[in-house]
Amino acid sequence: MENDEKKYEDVIKALKGLKEVKAPANFEADIQRRINQEKFSKEEKKGFWQNIFVPAKLIPSLGLVAVAVVMFFVVDTNSEEMDNPFLIEPRVREDVFAVTDFEEVESKRDELSKQKSVKKESPSVDLRTNKSQLKSSEDKLITGREKSGESKGLVDEKDIANDQSILLDNLTTVDSTLASVTENPQPTVPTEAGAEMITGQAITKEELNFRQVQLTEEEQKTVNELRNQVQSVERVNKTQK
Amino acid sequence: MDKSLLELSDEELILEFQKNNTENAFNILVQRYKNPLTNFVFRFLGDYESCADVVQETMIKVYRYKDSYSSVAKFSTWVFTIAGNLARTEYRRQRRRNLFSINDYGEDHSTYDLPDESSRPDDVTDSGIKDEIIQKALLKVKETYREAVILRDIQGLSYEEISEILGVNEGTVKSRINRGRAQLQELLKGIYKE
Repeated sequence: MENDEKKYEDVIKALKGLKEVKAPANFEADIQRRINQEKFSKEEKKGFWQNIFVPAKLIPSLGLVAVAVVMFFVVDTNSEEMDNPFLIEPRVREDVFAVTDFEEVESKRDELSKQKSVKKESPSVDLRTNKSQLKSSEDKLITGREKSGESKGLVDEKDIANDQSILLDNLTTVDSTLASVTENPQPTVPTEAGAEMITGQAITKEELNFRQVQLTEEEQKTVNELRNQVQSVERVNKTQK
Repeated sequence: MDKSLLELSDEELILEFQKNNTENAFNILVQRYKNPLTNFVFRFLGDYESCADVVQETMIKVYRYKDSYSSVAKFSTWVFTIAGNLARTEYRRQRRRNLFSINDYGEDHSTYDLPDESSRPDDVTDSGIKDEIIQKALLKVKETYREAVILRDIQGLSYEEISEILGVNEGTVKSRINRGRAQLQELLKGIYKE
């Protein structure tokens, strides 16, 4: 340390020999003036808004309270929990198929329509013949009654029994034809005209996409058996009458 | 002015000003420190006008932030720290300004703020010329070394006080002072030969 001071003795002497620089004469007055200016400006700063509003320290807490109030009104805690519509699984509809391959569906539909067109012809013919038979049987009845003096208001019990036997015969033939139709069941679709009448809108068969059920042979047999049983019961009832 | 206040130490005066807001205590402190601070800042900046502004600003800061002074430190170190910080800021501002002015007008039109001879308190005598040369040499010394050298060799503060003011340890203060002195010696070779 002392060596350093000796080494730089000249420099230290030169620096210590420098004349002291003094502050300006009006130094204190200038300071006082600046202090007073600052005081005045501070007083000026307390303006209208500062007097009206609460101190600045309270502003953050008041802001928090305001946010809490808004949240209370916006978020109703008592309300029932709403299911998220995006998370609800769709209801499974068993009566409707979800079609994925439209080409396959269309090809099946074409096949079915062809089958139907082929099968439709025969039952319609049968039905017509049955209807004509019914008509002719009715005519026979009428003519029979006319002959037996029904027109005169006189009806014999024998005549009624004859009429009933003829009707039953005809009904059996109709039922048999119906059974033959039901052996190859086809989807029953309302005709265009009928649908239009009901809904006011025409729906073609192709537009429908319902499930089409084809019965197996065993199922068809059971259906026929049941039908025959019903018919036999009906016959018995009719004969009893 | 209150005689009892004049007898108080710097630390007692600032405490009085803190507690009782005694303006006279502050005024006494201003009277005591205005010249040492002016000398320190002038030697550091080399410009009397800006030096006066810096010292005024220092005193206003003492007035405004009196509560931030803690009685643990000496008042002199506190006030010199404030003055040193402000002086450094002013010096850098001046240097930036000079850099821009050099770029704008070229070296021939440089506007370095050299001490105004007419307004400077030191007379233009032989000793005055010598002082001016020393001052110019001092301004050429690196900023950090210059501050340490001024505080030690011009203001006569202890190494401990300087380390507190500069915020560095005593070893650093000593090395800075030595380096500053070495640079000055190199710059003032001609004067010593005379």
